[in-house]
Amino acid sequence: MRLLEMSRRSLLALGLGASLLAVPAGRAFAEEKVITWGKPGEITGFDVHVIGTVASWELFQLVYETLLTADENFDLQPGLAESWEQTSPTSYTFHLRKDAKWSNGRPVVADDVIGSLRRIINPETASYWAKQFGTIARMEAPDNHTVVVELEEPHTAFLPALAHISAAIIPIQEYEAGSFDPTSQLLGSGPFMVAEHKQDESWTLVRNPYYWRKGYPLADKLFAPIIPDESARIAALRDGRVDYTSFTNPDVPLLLARDRNVEVVPQQTTNYYRVDVNALSEKSPFHDRRVRQAMNLSLDREAIAQIAFGGTVSVDYPVPAAFQKQACRELPTYALPRAERLERARALLKEAGNTAPKIGIIATPANPMNPRIAQVVQQSMQEAGFQVEILQQPMAEYLQKVFTDGDFDMALSWLAGYTDPTMVISWWNPKFAVWNGVFQEDVPALDQALEEVKKMPVGAARDEKLAEVCKLIDEGANLLALVSKVDYIAYRDDQVAMKLATRTGSSNAFQYAAEYKPLD
Amino acid sequence: MRLLRYLLQRVLLASVTLLGVSLLVFLALRFVPGGYADVMLGPFVTPQARATIATRFGLDQPMSVQYFHWLGALLQGDFGVSMVTRKPVIDELLRRAPVTAELAGLSLLLALGVGLPLGVASGVGGAGRRGGVGRIVGALGASVPDFVLGSVLIFVFSVWSLWLRVGGFVPLAEDPVANLRTMILPAVTLGVFGIALILRTTRDAVLRVMTEGHIMTAVARGDRPWTIVRRHVLRNAAIPVVTVAATYFGYLLGGAVIVEVLFSIPGVGFYIYSALENRDYAIVQAGVLAAAAVFVAINMLADTAYALLDPRIGAQR
Repeated sequence: MRLLEMSRRSLLALGLGASLLAVPAGRAFAEEKVITWGKPGEITGFDVHVIGTVASWELFQLVYETLLTADENFDLQPGLAESWEQTSPTSYTFHLRKDAKWSNGRPVVADDVIGSLRRIINPETASYWAKQFGTIARMEAPDNHTVVVELEEPHTAFLPALAHISAAIIPIQEYEAGSFDPTSQLLGSGPFMVAEHKQDESWTLVRNPYYWRKGYPLADKLFAPIIPDESARIAALRDGRVDYTSFTNPDVPLLLARDRNVEVVPQQTTNYYRVDVNALSEKSPFHDRRVRQAMNLSLDREAIAQIAFGGTVSVDYPVPAAFQKQACRELPTYALPRAERLERARALLKEAGNTAPKIGIIATPANPMNPRIAQVVQQSMQEAGFQVEILQQPMAEYLQKVFTDGDFDMALSWLAGYTDPTMVISWWNPKFAVWNGVFQEDVPALDQALEEVKKMPVGAARDEKLAEVCKLIDEGANLLALVSKVDYIAYRDDQVAMKLATRTGSSNAFQYAAEYKPLD
Repeated sequence: MRLLRYLLQRVLLASVTLLGVSLLVFLALRFVPGGYADVMLGPFVTPQARATIATRFGLDQPMSVQYFHWLGALLQGDFGVSMVTRKPVIDELLRRAPVTAELAGLSLLLALGVGLPLGVASGVGGAGRRGGVGRIVGALGASVPDFVLGSVLIFVFSVWSLWLRVGGFVPLAEDPVANLRTMILPAVTLGVFGIALILRTTRDAVLRVMTEGHIMTAVARGDRPWTIVRRHVLRNAAIPVVTVAATYFGYLLGGAVIVEVLFSIPGVGFYIYSALENRDYAIVQAGVLAAAAVFVAINMLADTAYALLDPRIGAQR
């Protein structure tokens, strides 16, 4: 017994001694700081210069960086370029951060910027973003951290275009050496880098050890399980498996209102829901401009905002309301009382010889708000005499019918408003946009006005031109803004401290992800 | 020798079946509206971008060339690559197969564990109360679609967790308890239909066997009820139950798509579903073919089991 007692004491002493020896500096005991983001959808591709889906952008924004960024007021802020000057209406000089590095340790240099922009504007890349730059005449690098870009003609939206993730800077040296394939890999200079990706299941990002912003990101790891089902995301938030996530459904704040520790922040954007109207197909009643104008007058945007969205959004315009421009607000479509608009609509239909047009509206349920909007649109158009059938088609079918075959009457979707008013309205020129060429009427006067407004500097003259553009857009009634698009960011305030922008123009909901701090 | 000939015949038949499936799925994908370019680039797809994507993935070739190229690669074990990730499809399928197998196994366990005894009790109970309960349970289980049941369970358990987890997946090797917590609800969602299926089939089979002469003899001989059920009823009623269980298991292994998507279970079904949405052809083609192969294999196993259960069938073969 005595022997056993002695053995026990010896073991205890040994154990204590071993644990003392095992103590290194206190840091070894620090737990890894992990934040978990319930990602609503998987990316649709890896190429940051080509992919045009928000599900992809929100991941790219954690890994890649742009030359510039935009704040809540849509003012440009430094990104990889710590400063810049516009030396003439067509010349820009960017001064790169000297401490910016790729996650493989190589410094970011001017050649990376020039190579990235060249890749974007190269027709072989097929990047839809190229046109938002205007026409780049030449680029040069006087030194490793200076880039000079010369445009062929003034293009006011050039700098805002550089702030969108589609203009991300990629490591050109590795790309040209063949060790980095942007179509299947992510290698950036942003706060995080990819540690693991399980397709349709999860992403694991870890801190970029070479990130230029010292002390950031505050989290060591960002784990992003992919949870497409809204109810499952709500459940994950409630039981704490997820620290933060996002929703488009305005009912979610109500569902989560009673949950302790769950905060829901509505994030305003420059994005808005839109309706595409087929002006080119002879099979569609909308081939007649008067019928389109009647439809535009009969739309009750206020009802969409109140009924489909519970009053959480507001009426929007081709020039997004978030830019606070008066451009479109005086138009009859918006300014006249509804009764008078309906009267005008019926008169137009009578003039067109089609008082009860039968039309179909495609509302793909890939966005859960589309069918709701469609129901309100159906009711409001019926008051003018339209007979509307709602067609809920899967995403791929909708894309083919609307953008390839032009086989539709109306279709619901949304547009990103970006960070300059002239960027989104440039899509109204089908020769510029191309993607809407199968249904968008080419109006030379509108094309001309759009070309002019892009070159004009910010000011009263540009605002006047925007008003002219709005008027032409309204008359054509071909692609129409409906209501603003709000994203709802929900997070566990007992698990993570988050800094959230109340407004964003770059579909960059988690712009401050580097500052998210796990609390447990 | 007879067995070998039988197996060879079945393998040949299976090969023809799978060839037919490969052609069907290949053609079906090509005729479904929308392509990968539409989905990947969204509304901004330009004709030039579409042509670039088509060339990159060989989609500009005639359909027959694409099909035989794919088939040839398949026969060499190359299942193609994902258009989204450019990673081999076979790697993903192998990574996800155990997850689907676990879900299928749990669902089958539940279906057999509850459905069999209930079915036997209901069949032996005949027109009495037990038989009635069995009929009601079977009807309910067969009537409720899994997407309805799954959605209800998600809603209920997202509010009152009761230790279970809604959505998400934890690998079994990582944490068995957490794995069980996430898999119970999807297994129940899938298993309810299986319970109804097994229950009704068992009940019908038992009822049929109960009317046969040898059962009457056993009763007249004074054998105890449980002895009669165990020795004479179960084995004779087993064949239709084995058929149904095999078919059900094959369906589960093919990937219970709706349940995997609802509960975000990263199995084969979810993989194929996402690929179908993205028009990621290689994944859908390989996934559907793999599911068909599993189904055929399980049916072959079931056929072999018949011979063991019923020596008369084995002798015929």
